[in-house]
Amino acid sequence: MASSQVVKVLIVDDDNFTRRIYKTMLFRFCFEITEVEDGKNAIQQFVDGNEYDLVLMDKHMPNMDGVEATRTLRGMGIPVKIVAITDDASSKDTFMDAGANKFLLKPLTFSMLTDILKSFNFLN
Amino acid sequence: MDYVHLRRQAASLRKGLFDQGYLDEQFYQLEDLQDDASPNFVEEVVTLFFRDSTRLMANIDQALDKCVKDFNKLDVYMQQLKGSCTSIGASRMKTECTAFRECCRDENIEGSHSLSILNLCMRSFQKIKREHSVLRQKLESYFQLLRQAGPVECATRPNK
Repeated sequence: MASSQVVKVLIVDDDNFTRRIYKTMLFRFCFEITEVEDGKNAIQQFVDGNEYDLVLMDKHMPNMDGVEATRTLRGMGIPVKIVAITDDASSKDTFMDAGANKFLLKPLTFSMLTDILKSFNFLN
Repeated sequence: MDYVHLRRQAASLRKGLFDQGYLDEQFYQLEDLQDDASPNFVEEVVTLFFRDSTRLMANIDQALDKCVKDFNKLDVYMQQLKGSCTSIGASRMKTECTAFRECCRDENIEGSHSLSILNLCMRSFQKIKREHSVLRQKLESYFQLLRQAGPVECATRPNK
């Protein structure tokens, strides 16, 4: 886990209202949430020394897509849990090969999120 | 003011949106996220959706206006729009987005800017714009009724 006890989540999605939905879901767990609009900014978060426990990663984003961002993070040796969340079913293998831990198809529901959090032991 | 009547009108409008296929199950997910901590969550998210989708559709309009059409770019825009529609439960819009993307793929296969495929794409996009406009009007009316009706005393979920 990241250094503090609070679970820290990074939402990476270029869609404003998708990020709003995820934030509202995650607020229910009192997690600390950061959001960025693309893969490049996601990488920058880690380059700046920020630590996260979980990344929710979209695929299609400007500047750097989710697959490339995932690959880059793994190349940097960042062990954070990455959950790919996209409506592009064909990208599953690519995402998993890039180093994603899980792959989910949009739309993300609250129960899907809860299951993922439980699987990573983020819920007590 | 007859708040009961207003709530019934809102409920009826909401039911119509589902019965007529404008909205799907995903919208229930959004409603389930609304609580005391986020009392206007659904309306906020819907407002964001229409703001973002309007911008995306303007990009698509511009891309379609160009003499040399970049169908790969159009497909990317449409994928974004479709993703947004999926997240909010805008079912009919999502269907039309899928149809448009199939046109783009047909165009890429043809590779010769066939007029019939171009026309199909344009018509498909007009349908998306119509669905977008209708959904927006209906949801705006729905939220207006909810605001007029005021908060409900008991937190009961309307029947699906």
